[in-house]
Amino acid sequence: MEARQDIVLGLALAGLGLAAAWMARGYAGASGIYPMVLGLILTLLGGTVAVRAARSGSRGARALVEAPGKLLVAVGIATLYVAAVVPLGFYTASFLLMLAMPFGLGLRRPVQAGVVAVIFMASVYLVFTVLLEKPLPREAILSILGSSG
Amino acid sequence: MEFYTNALAQVLTVGPLVAMIGATLLGVFIGALPGLNPVMAIALLLPLTYSMDPLVALGMVAGIYNGSMYGGAIPAILLRIPGTPASIATTFDGFPMADRGEASKALKIACWSSAVGGIASAIALMTVGPLLARVTLHFGPAEYFWIAIFGMASVGVMVGSDPVKGIMAAVLGLLIGTMGIDTLSGQARFTFEQTWLLGGLDLIVVLVGLYALPPVLQLAEKCDLKGLSAAQLKLTNMPFTRAELRSFLPTWLRSSGIGIAVGILPGAGGNIAAFLSYNAAKNASDDPESFGKGNPQGVAAAECGNNADNAASMIPALSLGIPGNVVAALVLSALTIHGLQPGPQLFHQNPVLVGGFMMEMLLTSVLIFALGGTLATRVFAQFQRLPGVLLVPSILILMCVGVYVINGRPVDLWVMLGAGLIGYLFEKVNVPLAPIILGMILGPMAEQSVRRALLISRGDATELFTRPISAVLIVMTLLVIVWPVVKALRRRRLRAR
Repeated sequence: MEARQDIVLGLALAGLGLAAAWMARGYAGASGIYPMVLGLILTLLGGTVAVRAARSGSRGARALVEAPGKLLVAVGIATLYVAAVVPLGFYTASFLLMLAMPFGLGLRRPVQAGVVAVIFMASVYLVFTVLLEKPLPREAILSILGSSG
Repeated sequence: MEFYTNALAQVLTVGPLVAMIGATLLGVFIGALPGLNPVMAIALLLPLTYSMDPLVALGMVAGIYNGSMYGGAIPAILLRIPGTPASIATTFDGFPMADRGEASKALKIACWSSAVGGIASAIALMTVGPLLARVTLHFGPAEYFWIAIFGMASVGVMVGSDPVKGIMAAVLGLLIGTMGIDTLSGQARFTFEQTWLLGGLDLIVVLVGLYALPPVLQLAEKCDLKGLSAAQLKLTNMPFTRAELRSFLPTWLRSSGIGIAVGILPGAGGNIAAFLSYNAAKNASDDPESFGKGNPQGVAAAECGNNADNAASMIPALSLGIPGNVVAALVLSALTIHGLQPGPQLFHQNPVLVGGFMMEMLLTSVLIFALGGTLATRVFAQFQRLPGVLLVPSILILMCVGVYVINGRPVDLWVMLGAGLIGYLFEKVNVPLAPIILGMILGPMAEQSVRRALLISRGDATELFTRPISAVLIVMTLLVIVWPVVKALRRRRLRAR
């Protein structure tokens, strides 16, 4: 298991290095030499990791993911959140995330999650919007209300 | 001396003072929450400091760094869960002390020891840093190239358990660092005809992803739905006497020295300093058997050692521009965010800033005495009563704010997510992340230095190898790379016997 993971890792990085060296070939003058050399070194190191792993064989299991289900839920909700931040607006998307992520991970205490979400989002608003005046993605709901008004 | 008096006058103004106090408290809080670490916190903080005064921004970095190193002792002592990797050694004697009802005393020892270690380390930084910077004024492009290579080789080899993977990570970082327009020729490299890639991948975006997302995903996997009970966090006040305080002096002295020496070495971190200090205290003790069973000297040694590493790790970063660990790399990023070039010139061009940051490292260590006491510990420990899953979305939101405000580009959020997932997988297969970041920071410096050296020598590559300082640096780099190979061969030979 451990050896197989290292073979995949080594081959992936060796491939990446080779691709980088190949692309760097076409760069003008000295600007291509440095990335080409780096690409070749990465290929060599990736190859070393893969060959070493292939020669050593399997040395016991190394769990890549401890709880695959929970990880998938977390990555899935995080991806949806990143996709929703601009269309929905930062605060709307973040508030939904504060409720959806704990629920998705198995927390069945909606009142506690809701209270923490409200306090946390209020603190974020005070610090980032009021105090630091950071520009964040505009709330879609405000645009809808603005255009209907 | 004038260097420091001018700096002190700037640091003792409202902005840096408020930043230091707030950030030290925040640091203790972050350290106290298992799963959060100073690197993640500083990475999240950096994007928000773009518009701040550099001394305010650096004061926050210093506060979080020093505060979190102490904060890590809180769960280490109360629950045998190290809040940060550097507080693993604190669990050995801290938890047995808490188990027999001396949690408050153990926390006080940790607080005092952290402060003493931090102060000693800051004094080392203030004395050695400027001297080293003066020496490096004589360095040319060839020497800078080899310093960058030496820094990366040592971090690549020393961080993590597999030197080949460490160096591979450093080369990957160097390659990522070449993305964007080449400043010397104007050639676009690895931009895939995307205009947002013309400036290369933003260091902070990659850094936030690499360092903040993997712990978040690990928290999600652990899925703590309950939090801790009030009974688990109960503390009984137990003052310690002057005689007890005096008995810690030799341990503090020894651990400070070890922590400072480890801090200066590139690649070695607070956890190594804490382990070495703990072992040294145990070896020096008349009663070594009591270590691991609740000996207060064990807590004092581990906590003093891990804090003594903090400011010392800034010595190569500030004087050479070579970060010895990831927090030092973050400090360099903070400097570049404010348009400052790390390295020896920094001491001459921005003495108030460098001196001010050193003072801030010192003052935030002193602040631990005042802010890290039992009251603060009681308050911060209460946050552990919240279910851990609530932290997952909170950190994701902070990551999103931090990354979005850098350039206002939604694409950066995807880069952060991608970098985080790669970081998560890399950690699982024992590829260290620190060399990737160091490669990204030092890559452009290494490339520009080598090309400048070749321009000066009119293409004569021997110029890179023949200068005396370059030769010394080459030998040191080779030693760093060859040493693990020799060690592995020796181990194999011993096993064969």
